[in-house]
Amino acid sequence: MNTPLLPHILTTLFVIPLLAAIFIAIMPAKLARYISLSSFVAMLGVSLVMALGFNYNLAGMQFSEVYNWITMPFQVQYHVGVDGISLCLVILSTFIFLFSALASYSIGDNRPKFYYANLMLLSFSVIGVFISLDLLQFFVMYEFELVPMYFLIAIWGGPGRSYAAMKFLIYTFTGGVFMLTGLIYMYTQLGVDNASSQTFDMIRLAQICPLMPQAFQTMACLGFLMAFLIKLPSFPFHTWLPDAHVEAPTPISMILAGLLLKMGSYGLVRICLGFFPYFFLHYGPVLMLIGAFNIVWAAIACMVQTDMKRIIAFSSVSHMGFVTLGISAVSAAALSGAIFQMISHGVISALLFFLVGVVYERTHTRDIHEIGGGLTKLAPVLFYFWMFACMANLGLPGLSGFVAETAVIYGSFTGFMATIGKHAHMCQWSVYLAATGMILTAGYMLWLLKRLFYGDTKEKWINHFAAIRPLEQFIAYGLAIMVLALGIYPMLVTKEYVVTSDAMNLSIVQRATIGCLDNNHKIEISKINLSPKLNSAN
Amino acid sequence: MSISINDAKHLIESAWLLVAVPFLVGFLIILGLHKSKPLSMMISIGAVGYGFIHALLIMLSLAQHSDLGPWQVNYDWFTATNLRLCMGYLVDNLAAMMLVVVTAISLVVQIYTHGYMKDDPGYSKFYAYLSLFTASMLGLVVSTNLFETYFFWELVGVCSYFLIGFWWQKESAAQACLKAFIVNRIGDFGFLLGIIMFLSITRTLWCESPILAYVSNSGRDLGSIIIQAYNAHMLTAPMLSVIALLIFLGPMAKSAQAPLHVWLPDAMEGPTPISALIHAATMVAAGIYLVARAYPLWLTPDGSLHSLGLTVIAWVGGFTAFMAATIALSQFDIKRVLAWSTVSQLGYMFVGLGCGAFSGGLFHLFNHAFFKAMLFLCSGAVIHGLHGEQDIRKMGGLFKSMPITAICFLIGTLSISGCPGLSGFFSKDEIISASIEHNLPLGILMIVTAAMTSFYMFRLFFLTFVGEFRGHGHPHESPLSMTGPLMALAIPSIFSGYLGVNLPALIQGRADTSFFPSFIHFGSTPIFEEPNLSVMAYSTIAAILGFVLAFMIYKAKSLSFNTAIVESKNTLVQIAYKFSLNKWYFDELYLTILQKFILPVYKKLWETVDVLIVDSMVNLSGLIALGLGEIMRYFQNGRAQFYAFIIFFGVVALTTYAYYFVIMP
Repeated sequence: MNTPLLPHILTTLFVIPLLAAIFIAIMPAKLARYISLSSFVAMLGVSLVMALGFNYNLAGMQFSEVYNWITMPFQVQYHVGVDGISLCLVILSTFIFLFSALASYSIGDNRPKFYYANLMLLSFSVIGVFISLDLLQFFVMYEFELVPMYFLIAIWGGPGRSYAAMKFLIYTFTGGVFMLTGLIYMYTQLGVDNASSQTFDMIRLAQICPLMPQAFQTMACLGFLMAFLIKLPSFPFHTWLPDAHVEAPTPISMILAGLLLKMGSYGLVRICLGFFPYFFLHYGPVLMLIGAFNIVWAAIACMVQTDMKRIIAFSSVSHMGFVTLGISAVSAAALSGAIFQMISHGVISALLFFLVGVVYERTHTRDIHEIGGGLTKLAPVLFYFWMFACMANLGLPGLSGFVAETAVIYGSFTGFMATIGKHAHMCQWSVYLAATGMILTAGYMLWLLKRLFYGDTKEKWINHFAAIRPLEQFIAYGLAIMVLALGIYPMLVTKEYVVTSDAMNLSIVQRATIGCLDNNHKIEISKINLSPKLNSAN
Repeated sequence: MSISINDAKHLIESAWLLVAVPFLVGFLIILGLHKSKPLSMMISIGAVGYGFIHALLIMLSLAQHSDLGPWQVNYDWFTATNLRLCMGYLVDNLAAMMLVVVTAISLVVQIYTHGYMKDDPGYSKFYAYLSLFTASMLGLVVSTNLFETYFFWELVGVCSYFLIGFWWQKESAAQACLKAFIVNRIGDFGFLLGIIMFLSITRTLWCESPILAYVSNSGRDLGSIIIQAYNAHMLTAPMLSVIALLIFLGPMAKSAQAPLHVWLPDAMEGPTPISALIHAATMVAAGIYLVARAYPLWLTPDGSLHSLGLTVIAWVGGFTAFMAATIALSQFDIKRVLAWSTVSQLGYMFVGLGCGAFSGGLFHLFNHAFFKAMLFLCSGAVIHGLHGEQDIRKMGGLFKSMPITAICFLIGTLSISGCPGLSGFFSKDEIISASIEHNLPLGILMIVTAAMTSFYMFRLFFLTFVGEFRGHGHPHESPLSMTGPLMALAIPSIFSGYLGVNLPALIQGRADTSFFPSFIHFGSTPIFEEPNLSVMAYSTIAAILGFVLAFMIYKAKSLSFNTAIVESKNTLVQIAYKFSLNKWYFDELYLTILQKFILPVYKKLWETVDVLIVDSMVNLSGLIALGLGEIMRYFQNGRAQFYAFIIFFGVVALTTYAYYFVIMP
């Protein structure tokens, strides 16, 4: 549905970064930062206008635009549109990009034109992923992100940047290959019975695929799932993330944790869950276990690190486990919590990586023992921001992380999988396991805080550690206020996506009953439909 | 004073202001007002002063118009199709009592802080934290449902974390705040799991009403839902026990019950006003408050008192009371003795609730808040007067130099020891008689503990205020801003006990109405216990015994078996002494487990799996790709002879293969 008041608004949003990138390339280097900043402000403005014009009561796509792109030998379209989930992620993207561009002051004279052009291209591809409604277009956007990201890490990164950039590239590229495999498999299989159902239109696919046989769904989903689990990242594909983070410059870490990981989780929701519900109904317990294990495993890894940026990086891995858990639980509350976690973690991790960057810029070391504590004395305001961010990360009530984690834990414990599904007990134990993560998170976050800010100050930092500057304060305040606002009044964003996510969840449960599933499962599904629990639950 | 019904209604309806005002003040100070010390102090004290008056008026309104309560409002906070979490505020008698306690203690502590923290660079920040704490605690008190309680429960915990670590440059403080938060997190973990398990069983019964509500007039509160679920065979007694015990982990951590008590004594690293406010009077009472609030959870599903939940509560409380008292016997830090005594008294309150003395346990909370806050503030005055000295071996004879502090301390000591006529006597007595009735061994343990309480409190008093001064410097009395709050707290420490007894009836030995039990009770009708004179006699004798022993050892010095114990060659006595001195080795046990077991195992595990297996595989696959490329490139060298050579051998190989494996068989 094209809202007449705001024609082509998504295309506008899509084109701004591309134009800005070209503009940056031809203008003098001095202007690069300002062009980039002003176009991010414009993008944030456009996305907020879009949010104002958005109808929260509809579950479908809005602001859609379709143009034919390739017609032979197969149909590919330029097709964009947003529903509640993607709208939230688009706003998150423009918000985080603006702040990371602000935080890019440290790039200084080190090839600013190339840097900001790459940043614009990166934002182009991230936005593209969130608004694409054609699967091939989605795939292109998803892969395109690799190019600017590789350069951003490999040129402006730390000492081990080439290893990190290569590792990032190989991992993500492998994921891309899996996704391509899944995509081609899906496309060819769709044409076996009826050539007219071959399509890349994601809206159509969301209607057709769930009706396909289970073997098809399982195989196709596996391809996509691998790609998204690598991106997320989930154990055992997570080792690229700490390396990439540690070597990436601060603003790129903010984007990497805040947005790029969300591309994986968005794919999980939109494609894996939306197209292949059978996979979740059948293998959901395994995914839940992976998610829960991810939470605990990454938290354990955090406990033994001595590099502060590595701790925050692993903590991102840990928190993304809540997304996997929430998505695979087949429960409206858990799905809603998982989406909330994407947004909340996007802001919190950006804040944390920014604060790590502020400390690193002054100490030139990330080693906790070398920093040695007592930084409060030198930068008291920085300490409060750190405290705030740590509290947000460990899920303090009143801040956004708490809402997401509580909703996911509650939802996955009361959802389809843990109450009625085949392996209910295993799912329940996954939730217990996930809940122990909250103790571990408190442990490593506060321990980190203690080792950085409490105790005696090392002699060498005195007079060599500047207090936090106004621009840094502005960035930290901006992100912190967002965390607080989401935590105090979560309906601020839930109201935008809850209709969509509920509809998505409902359709899975309904489709489960229609009969694309084996008999064994059908019985179980019919059992739940009779039970009064489901009526109130879903 | 009589309040008209309309005024009463308005007072109760505006109860949300109690929470909002201190929150606002806390944020205002953090965001800018901290630049002006007097302004920070004044608005902070002003906010809590207003809170105190409002809370008192609410309590009076409810006492006069009992039909007004319980009164609640709920707002949606997070909704998904099958989840509707609400935030709101609830005012009833129990909440009103707690509101008065929290605001009263908070008010005197904030006034006292002005004197105690005058020269501290973090003066304004301290007021900000105090305001935030007060707001969170009041939020916890007026919570309408378990989830909201959990929300504020954690906020209270984090304020406590800020305040314990207030002097961040001290390594001990940094460790103490970390420990406090993590131990509390362990409790919260159980609390959250318990809530979620309960909700997952009963979620269909709440319908459209706010979930997990404590009270409601449509039959959708904790108690009624449990009965409905039980009748519908959704909930069994063992399931309820599991849930109750998981949730009880929360109160265990917050109210410092064994084995999660280890954080409270270390929390004394924070400034003394905090020890008085948070770690003696209000926050640690949150656990008791929660148990009382959600009392049906701990009963059997059909509402009987003989449940596993209550038995566990009673025994955990009893064990903790005893253990903490034995530890307090041998400590030398004035604040730590008081901290252990707090742990012990909290144990008493749990015993009261666990044995069914609902009003009695809460009455002890009420009385204890006043006299323990006063004792802590006295210890703060002593430390202030001695310029930071906390070791009672370096005190003595302070009665002369700080008489007001000494007299207040004596009143507190008498009250906590259970001296007849003072507040502690009445409430402790109700608990002991309930425990004797409920479970005789537990009752005896409580009486023994009472004797120890009296002993260690008088030991503390004698070593601090009587005899010769053993320290250095010139101790001095504190300014009025510190002694004023002490004197103000002395009044309830003496008289608050009379709210809970009907004196003429008590003397005649019969049961009759009195204010506290008729104001706060579980179930629809208040229960007035018949005063048990023999129990009173036992506990008085125990208290006197403790006092006489302390007097003879530390004042008259006619007994010296304390030195005999310390220097004893008898291994058994030595072990017992060391056990008490080293706090039953809980800290050592936990630290060993953490440092020698958990962290090394984590490290080994991570190094093996992530670094050795996963990363090696990644690097190996990279190497294989590289190696294959290295090998393959020799096949691409561009020499025609080599290609011909390859083709020739390829043909030979294929022919051979075809001959032997395709044609022959």
